[in-house]
Amino acid sequence: MSSKTMIEAKNISKHFEGKIALSSLSFSIEQGEMVALIGPSGAGKTTLLNSIAGLVPIQNGELIIDSHPISAYKKSKIFAKKVGVIRQQFDLIGSIAVIHNVLAGRLAEWGVIKSLFSLLVPQEKEVALKALDRVGLSDKIHEITSTLSGGEQQRVAMARLMVQKPEVVLADEPVASLDPARAEDVLAMLIKIVSEQKQTLITSIHSVEYARKYFTRIIALKNGEILFDLPTEKVTDDLLRDLYRLKEQG
Amino acid sequence: MLGRKSVFGMYNRLLLTLLLTAVFVWSLFSIQWNADLFHAGGIPTLLQIFEGLIQPDLSAEVLMKGLESAWITLAYAVAGMSLAIIYALIVGVLASGTLTSSRVARLTSKVFFRGILGFTRSIHELIWAWLFVAAVGLSPYAAIFALAIPYGGILGRIFADMLNDVPDQPIIALKSAGASKLQLLTYGYFPLVWADMISYTMYRFECAIRSSAIMSFVGLGGLGYQIQLSLADLKYDQVWSYVFFLIVLVILVDVWSNFVRKGLTERKRRKGFSPGWLSLLFTLLLVVCSWGFIKVAENAQFFELLSDKNIEYAKKFFGGLIGLNDANPAFFKADSWAAALKLTLETLEMSIMAIGFATIAAFFTVIPAARNIANGGLTSSKKWYNWILYGIIRITYIFSRSVPELVWAMMIIFIFKPGLLPGAIALALHNFGILGKLWAEVIEDMDPRPIRNLASAGASKIQIFFYGILPTVLPRFLTYILYRWEVIMRTTIVVGFVGAGGLGMEFKLAMSYFQYTEITLLLLCYMILVIIADFASESTRKAVK
Repeated sequence: MSSKTMIEAKNISKHFEGKIALSSLSFSIEQGEMVALIGPSGAGKTTLLNSIAGLVPIQNGELIIDSHPISAYKKSKIFAKKVGVIRQQFDLIGSIAVIHNVLAGRLAEWGVIKSLFSLLVPQEKEVALKALDRVGLSDKIHEITSTLSGGEQQRVAMARLMVQKPEVVLADEPVASLDPARAEDVLAMLIKIVSEQKQTLITSIHSVEYARKYFTRIIALKNGEILFDLPTEKVTDDLLRDLYRLKEQG
Repeated sequence: MLGRKSVFGMYNRLLLTLLLTAVFVWSLFSIQWNADLFHAGGIPTLLQIFEGLIQPDLSAEVLMKGLESAWITLAYAVAGMSLAIIYALIVGVLASGTLTSSRVARLTSKVFFRGILGFTRSIHELIWAWLFVAAVGLSPYAAIFALAIPYGGILGRIFADMLNDVPDQPIIALKSAGASKLQLLTYGYFPLVWADMISYTMYRFECAIRSSAIMSFVGLGGLGYQIQLSLADLKYDQVWSYVFFLIVLVILVDVWSNFVRKGLTERKRRKGFSPGWLSLLFTLLLVVCSWGFIKVAENAQFFELLSDKNIEYAKKFFGGLIGLNDANPAFFKADSWAAALKLTLETLEMSIMAIGFATIAAFFTVIPAARNIANGGLTSSKKWYNWILYGIIRITYIFSRSVPELVWAMMIIFIFKPGLLPGAIALALHNFGILGKLWAEVIEDMDPRPIRNLASAGASKIQIFFYGILPTVLPRFLTYILYRWEVIMRTTIVVGFVGAGGLGMEFKLAMSYFQYTEITLLLLCYMILVIIADFASESTRKAVK
């Protein structure tokens, strides 16, 4: 399979009330890449992900998703097949059953009547069941989502993403509120699913250890700029020390 | 086993919704739906009323009168509330059982004082007013006591609940430091709850303004009196002028109470006068002015109330209520009970229709009325018309809730023939604004993250509403519907006064013909209704949890 460029950023900038969040970033990401975004708090990781997700408009530069500029995606239903977002477990509607949260990944394709009817009699149940089976939660299909543990909810969110099947998966600190054992569990599952479905993954992550262990490429942000953008094996301890140093010297 | 339980868990809200809808549809069958519902001149009158709304009478004379009446309304409300707070503090503390030491004493004090609070708040302020006027004649004190008693009951109950809900640890710590019961109260309980108490009292003060306005219905001055006079003269343009005065008064109180609440949540100390001290000073000034006005300008003599003549009247009236001079009191007659219970059922149907109408209207308007929808924060979609819609709906809400049910009823009775429907519509018109405002606040307090994620998963607006917003807010929406239904139940009797059917209409007739024992019977039926409402809404709330 010939690889194509999924995301291309050309000098994109963003500032909030005079404060620079992203300053003239350029990079391109091929289909199937596993990219970790690292950097200290406030470096602009979330802002970058939100810009790619179309949640925050960029002010300068050009952002091209699958060879179309992001502004050309007028319909959210079409864009949802290109780019999907997963954050911490707060992405789910706590008061409805697990199956509806998973099937919400299909809303982009369903009409109003089908989606309303599905709340009474779940539609395309086997799709949801398959996804839940993959994340090991097929026995919780009818539970109310808020009764699940944090790790389980995060896996439900992944099941939704599997049903939605976007070409690019953006994960914003997906394991930040989980204990180390569950974090590794969830992260390994995410990587496995994404690589099986030939999706492209961009994850912001605090832990450098996980970034090195699971991802093929690391982009380091500092003060809204790219400090380095390297294949994982070329990231040295010196570079990381530089990234997390508290005060600029000189 | 587990599977079945969770399937029930999935569907119990749906079943409950269906059940409540069915009850609403049942209530609609109590009305003969045909053109006979309208007065012959109903539609032209509606147009005239509407014309008056667009062109209210703004002549200097009306404005002066409006200003004066607004002040009287405010003064009665302030005076009534100041008494209510004293009553609520004393009885509320006793009802919370925090002053007692043994378990038996605590239980008796709780049951006894909560009973008193329950009794005083189950009777509507207008009925208290009527009873007082009937007993002691027209006096500002009748209005003030009529306000103070039910509002004290409501405040006292909430105060007691707040004191009971205080976390244990600080209290235990104080106890082990050797604090007495009274010291516990002043150093432990009150500092922990006073912010909530003030905030709730301010909210109730806004309601007291409206109640004070309708006191005039039994012949006591104020804005309601002017509205009633203008309606009797068919001068709709003046009616709206006075209604606008009432709306402005309610908005001013709302602004002040927001200011006070903000001062309470802002913990930062400021130099000079803090908003808290400023509000306290302003409150004291208002209380002094109100009582001074009632004493001097209205020339109200408290001790005149206790004159021999009045005591004689009061004796006769309350003696009549318990059937002293009646060989055959109505509350011992089976046919009176049968007639009264039929009216009770009608009143129940009216209240259900009212909350049903209000719910439907609020349901279709609440989404654009939420601030986080208007600014696109929740769904991350911004449209130019969002803010315009927001403004229009919010103004409608304020308008709807500022006008008391009774005033709505007085106008609607010009369009519809007397019966259950006009009563239900009047109640719905007032409660629609309250329900909408409360619901919009629920949506504004929502966690936006799951909703934004649905939007980025490609869900349309309608899909977001049914998958994200509705399931999240439904339990709180339902709580507010039930809470308003309880309030509506208490108010049905009042709209009945102006001919809107049910127990209230009969109550007014019995009052006019001095059928004292009949009054007692109707009050008993009314209390049955209030108990049913409390019970039904309590058990439904538990079912949703």
